Amino acid sequence: MAATNSSQSEYVTIVSGDGFEFVIPRSTACVSGTIRRMLEPSSKFSEALTGRCVLENISGVVLEKVCEYFCYNQRNKNQTNVPDMDIPPELCLELLMAADYLDT
Amino acid sequence: MDCEVPLPPPPRIRHRSPSHRPAAPSSLRKTYRLSRLDDRSSQPSSDPALFSSDDIPASGLENYHAPVSSGNRKRRYRGTWWGEMVKDPKRKRADFKDKRLVDSGVWMGSDESGADSVLPSSEASNWGEDFLVPEERLNPLAQSLNQSSLQGQQRGMGVRKVEESQEHQFARTIVNDCLERGHDSVDLSNAYLKVVPPDLLQPLQHLTKLPTVREAPVTEEVYSSLQPFLRLFLAGNGLTAVSGGLFELDALRVLSLRNNKLTDIPPAIRQLTMLQEVNLSVNRLQRLPWELLWLIKKGDLKHLTVRPNPLMPIEDAEIAQWHYPDETTPESIEGALKMSQYEGPAPEEAWAPIHVATGPVRRFNMEGFPVDETRLSGGRVSEPDRTATRVPSLREVSLLSFSRSSFFDQIPDSEMTEFPALMLRLLRYAREVRNGGGRHCSVCHRAFVIARAEWIEWWDCATYENGLKGPRTPGESLRPLPFRRLGCSWSCVPRVEIESGPECP
Repeated sequence: MAATNSSQSEYVTIVSGDGFEFVIPRSTACVSGTIRRMLEPSSKFSEALTGRCVLENISGVVLEKVCEYFCYNQRNKNQTNVPDMDIPPELCLELLMAADYLDT
Repeated sequence: MDCEVPLPPPPRIRHRSPSHRPAAPSSLRKTYRLSRLDDRSSQPSSDPALFSSDDIPASGLENYHAPVSSGNRKRRYRGTWWGEMVKDPKRKRADFKDKRLVDSGVWMGSDESGADSVLPSSEASNWGEDFLVPEERLNPLAQSLNQSSLQGQQRGMGVRKVEESQEHQFARTIVNDCLERGHDSVDLSNAYLKVVPPDLLQPLQHLTKLPTVREAPVTEEVYSSLQPFLRLFLAGNGLTAVSGGLFELDALRVLSLRNNKLTDIPPAIRQLTMLQEVNLSVNRLQRLPWELLWLIKKGDLKHLTVRPNPLMPIEDAEIAQWHYPDETTPESIEGALKMSQYEGPAPEEAWAPIHVATGPVRRFNMEGFPVDETRLSGGRVSEPDRTATRVPSLREVSLLSFSRSSFFDQIPDSEMTEFPALMLRLLRYAREVRNGGGRHCSVCHRAFVIARAEWIEWWDCATYENGLKGPRTPGESLRPLPFRRLGCSWSCVPRVEIESGPECP
């Protein structure tokens, strides 16, 4: 993928520590402050150039839930009645860690 | 077991126990627990019956003339009638105890009569009364067994005993007494409780009143409602926090927390929708939960006693918006805080709580730290999608679902200290919120853990403070109370603010 148009590309790839890749819309990924700053075109980070964020310390299972949250956040952004999101209790602690890391 | 209505204590039974054989530590503890804490009286107390047998083939009628072998005597065995044999008469007590899991309902012999003959040791005959079994009695046994594990267990037991302090036992007695007699007025005042034990009040949910009609003559007034009018008095106890268990008593009508050391009333008080009278006076409250106001307006609350308390005076407070007498900021507060003039019968306004003013909104970030308002207006945080959304943060979502899960209580504090400090803070916070009975957003009613917005609303509730005895008189000066409201997101803020906010959609 060429560096020039990746900054405008609609989708970005988020990669978990154990190699799972999630391709999600750029605006959705930017729900996370960390990812947004990674992808900021002015930052010249390699993530911004390639549109690919590798999150070494997040496992695939957790990252899947994180991406689900991104979509949930994006979908309900302007709603007044936000539905609850289901989180399996065994993932809660890891998600909390991930949330801390991703600033979301 | 905890939710069951405790039955009256069963008649005291002397449990004979196998003291002549070295008792394993586990059975020691089992005896202790079964006989006292569970109040189960299914301990074996009688010997197995002695049966004789005629059903050996040689003794039948058809074999009447058969040669009688020398050993053909009636077989005797010791055991139950359904055929269980006691293998070793020496160890029969132990075997019997293991087998007898269900109460057969058959009790043979007197408990007292055989006890001493079977048990020569006078020490063991006291086991039924083992509430008072001191650790010294167990100690020599433990030393003789030379088992360090037992020692450890004993220390554990010791700790448990310390936890259940005399005050708590006393309180439990009172609660059980009320349950037994059907008294719906539970007086735990001046009981020296520092905390309310979590399971103390739960049984009160099932309190049933007993009919008062006992004997003739039956007159009109002996008929009274058997619906309990549950009243709970926790006055004068030195409580520093109200536990969430209190708010599960949804049938509670009167609650007195007078003369304690409370600094905050959890918003979960809203769950007590039947409340009619609350007394919070003589505490250390600086503000009240907004949910009390909700109980006044939407619930049944008619009498709210909150003074004296070091409540914030409106004169010192920062006010963002005035609502009474009009929307403009008055020149002098004393002049403004007057009931408007009316003539004739009191209008509804003279009865209802009056919203006097609203304080400024304090916002918190996703970690629960207050956000600097000046930075908010210019900094990156003020992006519209960050402020206007009602979507909970991922931290919030996972904290909430974690605090709802059953794992939450199972994590010991020692294990928690190994977590990263950031998480530790959030988890402790979540635990605190949960112990207080949980929180619900006062705007959108969603359950939440970390408050994202907080503001004070000033309401005059004078009529409710005097128990709705009369309306406000014209020109009466208002004494508004501070009610703290919490919002779960940056959109859950006072309406005025949203209207004036630039990021409003």
